[in-house]
Amino acid sequence: MHLDAAAFSQILTRALGAGEYADAFYERRVARTFRLQDGKIHEAGLSLVCGVGIRTISGERAGYAYTDDLSLETLLSTARVSALIARDGSARVDAVELPREPREAPPMYASPEVELPGSATYVDLLARADVAARAHDPRVRTVNAFVSDEVQEVIVATSDGLFVRDRRPLVALGVQCVAQGNVRGNGFAGDGGRTSIDYFVGRTPEEIARESARIAGVNCEAREAPAGEFEVVVGAGSGGVLLHEAVGHGLEGDFNRQGTSLYSGRVGERVASELVSIYDDGNLPGERGSLSIDDEGTPGQHKVLVENGVLRGYMQDRLNARLMGVASTGSGRRQSFRVLPQPRMCNTYMPPGESTYDEIVGSVKKGIFAASFAGGQVEISKGDFVFMLAEGYLIEDGKLTAPIRGASLTGNGPEIMNRVTMVGNDSRLAGRYYTCGKGGQYVPVGVGMPTVKLSRVTVGGSAVA
Amino acid sequence: MPESLELAAFAVDEALAAGASQAEATCTIAERFSAEARGPRIEKLEQSTGRALSLRVFIGGAKASLGTSDLTREGLRAFIRQAVDAARFVGADPHAGLPEGAEPAAADDLGIYADDVARRAAEDKLEDALRLEALVRDYDPRIVNTSGAHVGDTRARIALVNSNGFRGSYAASSVQRSVAPIAQDGANKRVAGYGSAARGYAALESTERVASNAAARAVGLCGARKPATMRCPVIFERDVAAQVLGDVFGALNAANVAAGNSFFAGKLGEVVGSPLATLVDDGRLRGGLGTSPFDAEGVPTRRTVVLEGGRLRTFLYDTYNGRRLGAASTGNASGGGIGPNNFYLEPGPDSLEELIAATGRGVLIMDTIGFSTESVTGTYSRGARGYAIENGERAYPIDEFTIAGNLLEMLAGIDAVANDLTFDSTIVSPSFRVAEMTVSGT
Repeated sequence: MHLDAAAFSQILTRALGAGEYADAFYERRVARTFRLQDGKIHEAGLSLVCGVGIRTISGERAGYAYTDDLSLETLLSTARVSALIARDGSARVDAVELPREPREAPPMYASPEVELPGSATYVDLLARADVAARAHDPRVRTVNAFVSDEVQEVIVATSDGLFVRDRRPLVALGVQCVAQGNVRGNGFAGDGGRTSIDYFVGRTPEEIARESARIAGVNCEAREAPAGEFEVVVGAGSGGVLLHEAVGHGLEGDFNRQGTSLYSGRVGERVASELVSIYDDGNLPGERGSLSIDDEGTPGQHKVLVENGVLRGYMQDRLNARLMGVASTGSGRRQSFRVLPQPRMCNTYMPPGESTYDEIVGSVKKGIFAASFAGGQVEISKGDFVFMLAEGYLIEDGKLTAPIRGASLTGNGPEIMNRVTMVGNDSRLAGRYYTCGKGGQYVPVGVGMPTVKLSRVTVGGSAVA
Repeated sequence: MPESLELAAFAVDEALAAGASQAEATCTIAERFSAEARGPRIEKLEQSTGRALSLRVFIGGAKASLGTSDLTREGLRAFIRQAVDAARFVGADPHAGLPEGAEPAAADDLGIYADDVARRAAEDKLEDALRLEALVRDYDPRIVNTSGAHVGDTRARIALVNSNGFRGSYAASSVQRSVAPIAQDGANKRVAGYGSAARGYAALESTERVASNAAARAVGLCGARKPATMRCPVIFERDVAAQVLGDVFGALNAANVAAGNSFFAGKLGEVVGSPLATLVDDGRLRGGLGTSPFDAEGVPTRRTVVLEGGRLRTFLYDTYNGRRLGAASTGNASGGGIGPNNFYLEPGPDSLEELIAATGRGVLIMDTIGFSTESVTGTYSRGARGYAIENGERAYPIDEFTIAGNLLEMLAGIDAVANDLTFDSTIVSPSFRVAEMTVSGT
C-alpha cells in the first residue's frame, strides 16, 4: 500500500476537523533477533510493525486513533475518531496541503540501508561471542547472547504542511554470563547503535563477550554490599544512568507543563552543584538515542539542560511546547504508531570536568565505587530515585578493594546533584544498549558521564556495619 | 468462523507450505478505549482497533518466531517464508516443538468477557474519568494537582491454531480505572497512584473508593523523612507484596530454572518458605485477569499449587521447558515464554491493621522503586516509601530509604499474612510481614 501526499492530505483534513492541529505518523519497522543459549542458536525472531497513528490536538486535548489496516477507507474512519476530541467547534472546509513528495530527513545514521543481511551474519557473531566468553574465564558456566537488527521507516505528515520521511537503523548485541565462584555472579555487556550490523566488524563480539565474562568473574567473588550512607564515586560511562533518572525525566516537558515535576517553573534557578552541566543531544552520529528527526518531524537537537548548576530548559514535544509557548526541541518520541508521542530523552550526558580518575578515587577514605549500573528508576514529582549496581567495589584509603554485590543507591535527585564535589576529565558515553521506559513506552537512549564523586549517598546493601 | 481464527489457520497452512514441519499461529483482534482527565477537561481520548498475528514455526527441532501487524494475505505469505528460512539457521533442539496431540479446552464459563464493556457508552466513561479527577482533587486541600485520571477498556478475540489439530478461540475483556494525585508538602510534591482493574465495569472498585484510596496515599506521605538504618520487621502492603511475588515468580519460571538462573534450582520437594507460604497459580479462577481457557500453546489451563506450606511442589512450565526438565506443562505458556495465570499467595486470617498492631517496631512498605537484577542469587534491594511502625501504630511516613535482603530468606521469614487479597492483576498478594530485613536510611 503506497500512502502518497494526496492520501495523507485527505486523512489530515478529516482528522483536523474543528481542532487546531493534526498529524499522521506512518511506521514500518522490520526487525530480526537471534538468540544463543547453551552454545547454539536457540531462536530466530522476526517482527514487522506497520501502521498509521492519527492525532488531533485542540488546546490541551489530544484525540488519538491508530490502524494497521492501510486502506484509505479505514484510514479516513480512523481520522474521524481522532477528530472526536475537538467536537465542540465547527470543522474547517479548507483541505490540508502537503508537498508532492516527503522531504528526506538529513543524513544522520552510519548506514541507512533498507535490506537486512542474511541470517548467517548474525549466527556467526553470536557463535564468536560464546567462544570468547567461555575462553576468557573458566568459571563462566552460562552464556546467553542476542543480536538484533532493525530498520524503521517513518513518514510524518502534519496539518501545518510538514511532510518528511526518515529511515532509522538500529543494531544491538548483548552477552550475559553467569560465573560460579563463592557465589554465582552475573555479568552483562552490550553495544550497538544507529548503524548497520557491519558495526561489529570493528567493535567485535569477542570484546563485548570478554567484558561480560569479566564482570561475571568479579561478581562471583563479591561480598554483600554494606548498608548506610557513604561517599560514592560513580564510574565514567554508564554512570549517566544517574543523570537520566535523577534529573533527566524531571526535565521532560509534559511533567513541567502539568506542573507535576519538582523542576516545574524553575528555569534560571540553581538546581545542582556548579560543577554540574547536563546536555541531551539527538545529533550524535551512530548513538542509540540519536534521531535525525523526532517522531513528530522536528530535527534532533543539542539541548543544554543544566549549565554550571543552573537549569536552562526542558525537553519538549509539539503539544507541550505549544502549551508552554516555546519551540519543540525535537524530543517527541513514541514506541510505535500505536501510542501517542511523549517528550523523551535522546542521549543524555555530562561534559568533562577537571579532576583525574586517580584524584577522585584517591580522595575517598571509605566509600563505594559504582563502576556501572544495571538500571534505575525515578519518581519525578519529588525526585526520589534508585539505581542498581551491575559492578561495584569498596573504596578503602583511596584504593578499590573488595567487589560488592546486590547494592542499590537511593536518594533524591536534586539533593544528589548538589552533592557532586568532583567531576572527572574522562566523560564518555556508555555501551549502547540502554532502553528507557515511560508510561509503558520503551525507546532506545544513550547515557554518558565522567567519573564523579558524590559526598553522601544511601547504599542499600544488607550488611549493617 | 471469526476472522481471527481464519487468519490463524491461513498462517499455519502457509508455514507448512513453506517447508515447516510444525506451526502454531495466534491472532488477536482488540478494540481499545482510553480516556484521561486532568482538571476540568478530558486531555486524551484514544480509540483503536489493533490486529496482530504471532507465529511459531519449527523445522524439526529448530524454531523461529514471527510477529506482524500486516495481516494482508500477500504480506503474511512473504513474511512467513522469511521466518521459515531463518529457522534453517537455528540449532536443532530435541525438546522444541508443539504440545503432543491437541487436548480441547473445557467449555465452562470462565467469566472473562463482560457484556457491560461493549454496552457502556463513551460519554459515561468520559464522565467517569472527570468525576474521578474531581473527587481526588476535592479530597484534601493539599492535593493541588494530578498526573491525570484514567479510564480504559479492551475487548479482544484471541484465536489459536496449530498443525497438531488444535483450534480454539475466546473473547476476553478488561477495564481499568486509576488516578495519580499529587499533594503539596511544603517545597516537596508527593505523588501516589491507585487503581482498580477487572474483567468488566461491574467488578471494578467504585470511582469514590479509587479516588479516596489514591488521595489518602498521597496525603499520607506528607512530612515523610528518612528512617534510621536498622534491621526490623517489614510489612509489605498488598500491591508491593505482589511485586515481591513477581520476583519469586521469576525464579519459579522453569525457563530460568533450566538455564541455571533461579535460586530455586535443585530445591524441588524441599521446604523453602515459612509454613504460611502457600503459592498458587490458577488459570481457571472465574473472572480472573489471568484466566483463559487455554494458554499460549493451546494447553488447557489448570490450578497448580506451587508452594504448599513452604514446600516447593513444582515449577511453572510450558511444553518446551517441561520437556527439558522432565515435567508436563502446567499451562503457563505466555508470549513466547512462561508467564503467570492468576499467581497469588494464600491469604491469612487477619486484617492489615491487625498485622500492624501486632508489630511493635518496624516499617510498612507502600511503594518501591527499582527492580531486582539478581535472579541467580535472590538478592533483593529496593528504594521504598511507607510508614515507620512504633508501638503497633503507623507512627510517621518515611521515604528515601532502601530495604534489602534475599528473596529465599524473605519467603522463609514470612511470619504473618493478611486477608486483603484482591484479584486485580495477574500476580496478586495479600499484605504480609517478613520477620527481619535491612532498612538503609541515615
